[in-house]
Amino acid sequence: MAEEFVYSVGAGAGFAGDRTDQAVKLARSGQVNALGLECLAERTIVPAIRARKANPEAGADPRLRRRLAPLLPPAKQTGCRIVSNLGAANPAAAGRAVAALARELGCTGIRIAAVEGDDVTSLRDEIAWHEPLDGELIGAHAYIGADALLEPIVSGADVVVCGRAADSALFAAPLLPHLDGSPDALAAALTVGHLLECSGQVTGGNFEASWETPLSAEDLANLGYPIAHVRRDGSADITMLDDAPGRVDRLTCTVQLLYEVHDPSAYITPDAIVDFTTVRFEQVGRNRVRMTGPKHRGVPPTLKVSGFVARRGIIADLEIGFAGTGALDRTRLAADCLRLRLSDWPENDIRIDIVGVDSILGGASVPTNALPAETRLHVSAVCADEAQALIVEDEVYALTISGPAGGGSVRNERRPRIDTLTGFIPRERVKPTVHWSVA
Amino acid sequence: MKVRDIAAGRAGDKGDALDLSVVARDAESYALLERTLTEGAVQAALNRVAPGPVRRYAVPGLWALKFVAPYALPGGVYASLHAGLHWQKAAIWVLLELEVG
Repeated sequence: MAEEFVYSVGAGAGFAGDRTDQAVKLARSGQVNALGLECLAERTIVPAIRARKANPEAGADPRLRRRLAPLLPPAKQTGCRIVSNLGAANPAAAGRAVAALARELGCTGIRIAAVEGDDVTSLRDEIAWHEPLDGELIGAHAYIGADALLEPIVSGADVVVCGRAADSALFAAPLLPHLDGSPDALAAALTVGHLLECSGQVTGGNFEASWETPLSAEDLANLGYPIAHVRRDGSADITMLDDAPGRVDRLTCTVQLLYEVHDPSAYITPDAIVDFTTVRFEQVGRNRVRMTGPKHRGVPPTLKVSGFVARRGIIADLEIGFAGTGALDRTRLAADCLRLRLSDWPENDIRIDIVGVDSILGGASVPTNALPAETRLHVSAVCADEAQALIVEDEVYALTISGPAGGGSVRNERRPRIDTLTGFIPRERVKPTVHWSVA
Repeated sequence: MKVRDIAAGRAGDKGDALDLSVVARDAESYALLERTLTEGAVQAALNRVAPGPVRRYAVPGLWALKFVAPYALPGGVYASLHAGLHWQKAAIWVLLELEVG
């Protein structure tokens, strides 16, 4: 029945730091016509923006070479197109870097398209921000859609790199020339993209059905990444390579379908508003699920914008550990001692809790009867500057000398205070452009 | 019986919003979850770790419920004072540990 499928797309990456080996396996298999590599989370772009400000040729994904060096040769051999947002804050420079890398690898002749236009920082006053802009705007990027990636794909690009784009668009764009052109087929392509955009999250990663045997460590270490075999109407079979460990079933597909979509009857993408409530999943084979039924519910008049605001100060995040009989009691004692030492810190700017007890879910953590053998006191504090951060850090270290017995294994980190802001911009204000390079 | 005995779930985020999904193992489990996991019940549980209201979306055709808490992550993921980054990934356990039936 293979002839009913018009195109196959795989997920080679689902976040900036994703594993690189599965993309290579998918490209080598010859079973995918295109690979989407989603490498740009909301804030991943911030260091890229700063790098570009310091050096106009910088600002692409720092993992570009690591990710593409093993991938370009097999992709060229099997004719697998690559679509990725690893252009980050500088897609044109990323395009040139991919061309240079391809030449180094002997992959001459491949055509690389870099799509720019998502950077709307200069249009900051035309953006309807969800919250007031409070602080220095580091950058603002609109989410472009599959429509912006389509022209270079139709023109035959072997590699398409962009910056901020809807994650689902990276996977939907290469499908579109092969579908029937109906609005619902577009909705289905975007649904396929959404199912694939987090790579292993649809094949058994970050997943538990407590009544079934979980995947083993070996399975998770070699987890197969998803493939979608797509029909002209956009409906698709979601699966993996035959020998890949993992699970693709109604549950893994449904949990991923609904992931981060908010209203499932109106999932807003740059290309279309998609209704997921009409989607149906049917198990049609081992690790193979048929997806049908998403509906097109119109085109949004605006594009979403992610802005980043640097706020004054930093977050100091520290832990100090306790072990042995009474570890939890001594950790609690240390926490109370630290609260006394830092009692003048504004209440909303400090959090003190215990790793092993309540550092993740706070008051919603369900207590257990078993006493932990080791626990760690955690403190995070908003600090106006480095001098203030040092005060918090010194108070934690002082617990090793003047606190409860045996405190140690201290670790600390400092994080910049960056707020993410959401805004919307009229779609006609965002004008994508394409820059070509040939290896 | 807990939610986790009859459903799988996942937590995500967008900006300030926490986004939770629960998918039941069968129609009967969905009916039970649909009755038990009301907006009020979920908000009460969630407010022990994150602030603000909760909006529920029922998707009976997929045996699924979604809960969106639009102000649960003030300033976004990177402004959080929880230990390390991305505590919100674990937030689904607030729902999975709830008693049902």
